[in-house]
Order: sequence, then structure tokens, then C-alpha cells
Amino acid sequence: MPVTRSIFSFGRLAILALVAICAACSVPEQEPDNRYQRSIEDASSEAEAVAAAVIQLQNQALAAINEDQYPLAIDYLQRAIKIQPRNAWSWHYLADIYWRRGEYEHCLSMIERSHSYSQNDPAVDDANAALRDQCQ
Amino acid sequence: MPRKPVRKPIRKKSARGRTRRRSSAQRGNKRRYFFAVGLLLLALLAAYLGYLNYLINSRFDGGAWALPSRVYARALELYPGSDLTRKHLVYELELSSYLRVDTPPLPGEYRLLGASLEFHSRAFEFTDQAQAARQLQVFFDDGHILALTDSTTSADLAVFRVPPLILGSYYPQSGQDRLLLAESEVPERLVAALIAVEDRSFYQHSGVSPFAILRALWANLKAGKTVQGGSTLTQQLAKNMFLTPERSLPRKINEAFMALLLELRFSKQAIITAYINEVFLLQQNRIAIHGFARASRMLFNRGVDRLAPEQLALLVGMVKGPSRYNPLTAPEAALERRNLVLKIMQQQGLLDMTAYESARAKALGVARKLPGVNPFPAYLDMAKQQLQSSYSDAELSRQGLRVFTAFDPLVQQNLERGLARGLQRFKQPELQAAVVMTDYLNGDILALVGDRVTDYPGFNRALMAQRQIGSLIKPLLLYTLLQGDLSLASLVTDQPIRIRQSNGDVWEPRNYDRKLHGKMSLYEAFIRSYNLPFIALGVEQGGLEALALSLEKIKLLKHEVVYPSMLLGTTAMSAFEVAQMFQVIANNGYFTPLTTIRSVTDQQNRTLARIPLESHKLFDQARMIQVQRAMVGVGEQGTARYLAQRFGEQTLAGKTGTTNDARDSWFAGFSERLLSVVWLGRDDNAPIGLTGSSGALRVWADIMELQGFEPFKLSRDDSLVWRHIDALTGGISQQGCANSVLLPIPKDRIPKTRARCQ
Repeated sequence: MPVTRSIFSFGRLAILALVAICAACSVPEQEPDNRYQRSIEDASSEAEAVAAAVIQLQNQALAAINEDQYPLAIDYLQRAIKIQPRNAWSWHYLADIYWRRGEYEHCLSMIERSHSYSQNDPAVDDANAALRDQCQ
Repeated sequence: MPRKPVRKPIRKKSARGRTRRRSSAQRGNKRRYFFAVGLLLLALLAAYLGYLNYLINSRFDGGAWALPSRVYARALELYPGSDLTRKHLVYELELSSYLRVDTPPLPGEYRLLGASLEFHSRAFEFTDQAQAARQLQVFFDDGHILALTDSTTSADLAVFRVPPLILGSYYPQSGQDRLLLAESEVPERLVAALIAVEDRSFYQHSGVSPFAILRALWANLKAGKTVQGGSTLTQQLAKNMFLTPERSLPRKINEAFMALLLELRFSKQAIITAYINEVFLLQQNRIAIHGFARASRMLFNRGVDRLAPEQLALLVGMVKGPSRYNPLTAPEAALERRNLVLKIMQQQGLLDMTAYESARAKALGVARKLPGVNPFPAYLDMAKQQLQSSYSDAELSRQGLRVFTAFDPLVQQNLERGLARGLQRFKQPELQAAVVMTDYLNGDILALVGDRVTDYPGFNRALMAQRQIGSLIKPLLLYTLLQGDLSLASLVTDQPIRIRQSNGDVWEPRNYDRKLHGKMSLYEAFIRSYNLPFIALGVEQGGLEALALSLEKIKLLKHEVVYPSMLLGTTAMSAFEVAQMFQVIANNGYFTPLTTIRSVTDQQNRTLARIPLESHKLFDQARMIQVQRAMVGVGEQGTARYLAQRFGEQTLAGKTGTTNDARDSWFAGFSERLLSVVWLGRDDNAPIGLTGSSGALRVWADIMELQGFEPFKLSRDDSLVWRHIDALTGGISQQGCANSVLLPIPKDRIPKTRARCQ
């Protein structure tokens, strides 16, 4: 009489359990839903609301930089930062001015700050990396 | 025989001749004498005139007046998306003396149009550039600016700066306040009215008018008393600028000579301009208002170029007796005088009959109460303290500097109202307060109060009162503890501790509630503000030295020798210093010096100083994020859980502080951008019966509710992971379990134990 072997035999169950555990091990633990942390969406919705003002001031600052009017450019950027303090580009442009003025320590401080707001945006991170090399 | 000598006629003759010679010599002597005396007198006169001329030079040529330095608030930025309501914009404009009208606004006016607001900004010289006057319409939507358009071109604008209001002035010792008008800015009709009333022969005389003196003499003789003066405007100017008001002959002579010299040296237009700038018109407490420009601003809230005939007539009338014709204290006399001036203006052809009748029928129309002298004394004082490293008192009070600050009148208003409301709770008239509100991301000090009576210009407690800070030290202490093997989930023990001090004494610190609470996570010990675990860790793990180092980094280490009681916050600080300490915590470890000043220019708008935005990374971001999370916990479940009760899920971070016997009540907390510190206590350091939680926290919440805020969010950091932790055991927990809290933990310090879910 053939012996029917249940698929739920102890050995198979043990193997299945082991596989399941390993699978669980290999899947990275997901971050819990986190209401405390600033999300990328938070930052982008804030940026969108005031984008026109900040972009205009940044553009005016860039124009002033091109004309070597650094104090004027700093004023524009400080206004932009007052409106949107976590804009990584505004801090980057400030760093750029300090580099042009030979104030390398200030330049590095501003790059640090810019990086802290970059949300891993490669464009601003690359710009900061290039500038950091120049300021060091 | 000798002859008796006889007088010879010749002798007689010669005597006569001698007499003649003598008298001729005497005459010569006399002449020489008179000549010498004359020369001497002339020399004296020349010296005297030279002296008078020197006086005139020193005052009239350059720096004629000691000009108070003006302190400006921040310029309000208008842009689509800005959190600004129409009500707030109206408040800002009114503070800047804009007049509400129903017609298309002129510079310095605004009108409400449906849900929008139209205003005409004044021209303004900013530090970086000049901005022309511009007519704008601002559209609002649900507490935000929806759009901003140029009324003339209908073009949409991305951003516009409203010229800042003057929040106060640094006055000279003389207590004189004035706004200067240049020759080109003096309205012709003001000059015409002044001349018509005070000195009709102004353009004919050379400083002194004999005809006017005779006329006055005759009028006074007829009346039997002094009813008319014979002084010209130039004489009045000489008297006002250089002499005392005493009535004496020498003074009158000085006045006449100076008037003549003034006329010799300067044009009529320069003299009348100086007169218009110099003349005393109003007294406001200890400040004397000189000049038409300032008086016009004070009484009518507008520039002299915009005065209606009746307003101009009132000011011209006040010249004769600023006190007698003060429209606030003697309105009837002022009205009578004004109407007399109007009549003269009509008679002299400066007004036609219709305009005269119309102006005469108008009420005085002056402000009911003069705007306060420096209504924000604490902020002004703080700005002065920060300026004094670069400018002397004399420079600040005489050179008419323009000081641009970060002062935000909208925040100040909320701060003052919130404080008043908060203090009402305690019914302690002796209770004093200090509050500082800052933007911790750029270091701006936005608003400040140094006394429970917010406009009282006395001791500025926000800056000067050094008080023990109690548990406000714990966030920085927690930061130092987190640099070892500890995390917020680490298990600590709240147990008795004895510390032998260097002098041999044994110190046995206690918790505020004088109880012991056993084992718990570091997070739990922090949010409950238990002292013993922090002292134990501070002493055992080198936290004391690390804390001293951290304080030194932000220039707040007050002692050369560190001692264990520092771990309990026995260090004394001002509210401003506390704000600086929390600035670096709120800003992820980036130190930005808190400042009131942004730039300083001279009268000609040449930049003298700029305070650039600074940012120095002094502390580790990941560890600061953990500290911030613990401070959020304080507001959710800890000593400041009142915040959660009041604001629900709007996350705020903060820390309470209480000192021995409840002598000081502190709360420092922050939202997404605003950091505010509140201190309550008594000047005599007597107990107030309030903890940080029952006192300062309530006031802080009152202020923040009025101010409105964005909830605080923690930054992301790749070196941290978020885990549900059991606050009592520090083990890994799950969402929904009792005592479970979501905490950021360094990747290499994730707890290995699992907590039982309850």
C-alpha cells in the first residue's frame, strides 16, 4: 500500500519556515510611517508655493554676481533665504560668492548648509562638490 | 643891580604857545588814544563777530543739527504664496503711517477693494538700491497672498518689498527729534504762509528790519505791554539755533549781529529752510519735536508736501506759541489761531475765498494721541547693545544713521498680546517677564520684550537679567550624552546619587518631585525632566566636560571651572542667551549668531556695515535630530504635554525649566521656523510658585497661538533609522503598544531586546 506523504510533513514545514525567515531577513525593514520627519513632498510643496519669488531673487543675484556686485547679490540671496530658508540653491549661490571673494571658510560653511537641504538632488550635490574642491 | 626878572611877553607868548602846543599834543594824544581805543574796539568787534561767525559755521554749515539715528524694521516681502492676511498687511501699513482712502491711492495711502488691497508704496532708499514709489494691488486667498499686480501696468509681480517702518530712534542728549527737509523739499506754500504770518519783509531786509522794530515798539507802547515782536525770521532763527530764550539787551544785540551775519553768508532759501527745520513745535514726553516735517508726521501722519491748507495753517500758527496753541492740550486756542492764519493767508492772496471758507470750516483733524516715543524699547535697546561694538553713543544719537534691523512688527504684536493674555492667568503684579522670538534658520531676532509692561523703557530683562536656567540645560546635555554608546532607547536608572565635590562637601541632588522612578529609557527620563539619571550619566560618562565644551563653542560658557551642579542648569543666562543656545539645537547643529542688525548706512545711504548671514556647523546633525525628537516628546507626553492638549497633532519641540523653590519659570520651544524663549520671575528673586510647565509654557503657548506656526518636522539623516521603542524598557516595540514611541536611532545602536506589547 503506497504511503501517501502529506505535503505538510514536519520536515517540509521546517524548510518552508526557514525559507520564510530567510526571506524576511533579506527584505530590508521598512521605515515606519513617520509623521515627525520632513518628507520630500513637504519640501517640494513649500518650494512650489513661493517658487516665483525665490527664483526671481536668485536670478537677480546671479545677474549681480556676473557684474561683480557681490554685496547686492548677497542681499538678494538673503531675501530669498528669508522667504524659503531650506532652498539648497540659495545657499549654494552664497557659497559661490564667498568663493569668488576668496572667503573659503565661509564658502565651505555655506556648502555644508546647502548640502543639508539638498534632499540628495544630484544637480545641487554635484554643484556643491565641484565648489567644495575649489574652496578647500 | 640885577633886574627883577619880569615875565616877558614872549614868555607869556611862549607859554601860550606851549599851551597851544600842549593842547595840540593833547589833541594828538587824544586822537591817538581814540584811535587806539577805536582800533581796540574794532578788534574786539572783529573778534566778537569772528566768534559769532564761528558759532554759525559750526552749526549751520555741516552737521547743523544733532540728528537721531533711525532704526528700521525689516522690509515686509510681498509675494504669492506668502502667509499674509489682508488684516496683517493693513496693520503693517498703518504702522508705517499709510492713510486709508477711498480713491486711487497716492504715495503713502491704501484702499480696500473687495477682498484685495491697493496701496501706493513710498519711494525708499534701501541699503542695496533705491526703490521708486509704486502702486500695487494685493489679492488674498485663505490667509495667503494669491497674486500681486502693478496697478499701473497690470503686470503680475513675483516679489515686492514694502519700505520698512521706523520702529524707533536714538535721540541726542538734547532730546530733540526732527526730520530734515532739503531746500528742494520745502513746499513753496509753506514758505509763503510762514512769511505772510511771521515776517512779510523777509525778502527785503538784511536780517534785521528797523521798520518792523519801530512798528512793534509803537504797537507795544499803545497796548502798554508786549503784543508784537519786531524780530525777523532770520533773527528768530539766530535765537533758536544759537542763543538762549532770555529777554535781555545783550542777547538782542547778539541776535541782531547773528542775523546780519546769516544774511551775509547764506541765501534766503537756505535761511528759511533752516528755520523750517529748526523751529520747536511740539513736546512729547521728554522728546522735543522740532521742524515742520516731524511735527506734520506726528500730528497729521503725513509729509509737509501733502498738508491741506488748514493743516498747514495750524502748524504755522503754532510757531508763535507751541505750548499755548498745542492742538492736543489747547484745541480751542489752536483753532482760533489756525483760523487767524487762514485769514492772513486769504488776505495775502495765498488762498481764494472758497478755499478759505472750506478750510476754516474744518475741524483740527490732528491725531488724538501722538504716536509713542519708541514703543518697542526692548528691541531698540538690544539693537543698540549690538551696535555699540562699532558705534559710540554720540555717533548713534547725532549722526542720523539708518539702522536696518530684523524687527517684525507683526510678530511683536502677537508676542505682546500673547504675553499680556498669558500673564493675566497668574494674577501676580510683581511677576516679571522676558520673551525673545527668533527665526532660528537665519538668526533674525524678530521680536523682543524685556518687561511685563512691554513699552516701558526700563531694565531690559531679555538681555540683562541673568537667571539660572534649570532644566533648559538638558537638551545640550542630552546631545553630549548621545555621542557615546547611548541612544534615546538606552536604559537608565533614576536612583539616588552622592557626589563628593572638590571642597570635600557631599552633594546629593534630587528630582524636582523628590521621588525616585527606577529604570526607564533615556528618552523617558528626558521628557519627564528627571535630574538623577542625567547627573549620574554626566558625571560617569564625561558629560560635564563635554557640556562645558559645547557651551564654549557657542560662547555661553560662563565659568572657568566646571562643577557638577552645572548639569542641573545652575548656570545663569539671559533669555537672549538661552535663545542662542536653542538656535543651534533647532537648526540641526548649525550655529547662526542671533542678530537684530542687518545693515547700517549713513544719511546719504552709504553702507557703513552689513551683517551677513552666517552659518557654522558646530554640532553633529544626527545627534541634534535625536535631541529634537526628545524635545517633541516633551510636548507630547512630557512636562510640556499641555502643548499636545492645546495644539493637538501640530508638532512642537520644547523644554521646560524650573529653578530651586520655583524662582524662575522657563520655556524654550520651536516650530518649523520660529524659536521662542519665555522667562517669568521676580526682580527680587522671590519664589513665584510657578514651574516651567505651569508658568512660562502657558505664556509661550498663548504667544504661539496668536502668532500661528507651521508644525515642526525633523530633518532626514541617513545615519538614523526610525524604530518603535518602548519608552519604559528601551526595547523594540510596535506601533499601537502602550508606551511605544517612534524614535530615531543610530543604525549601529538599534536595541537588541524586544519589549512585550501591552
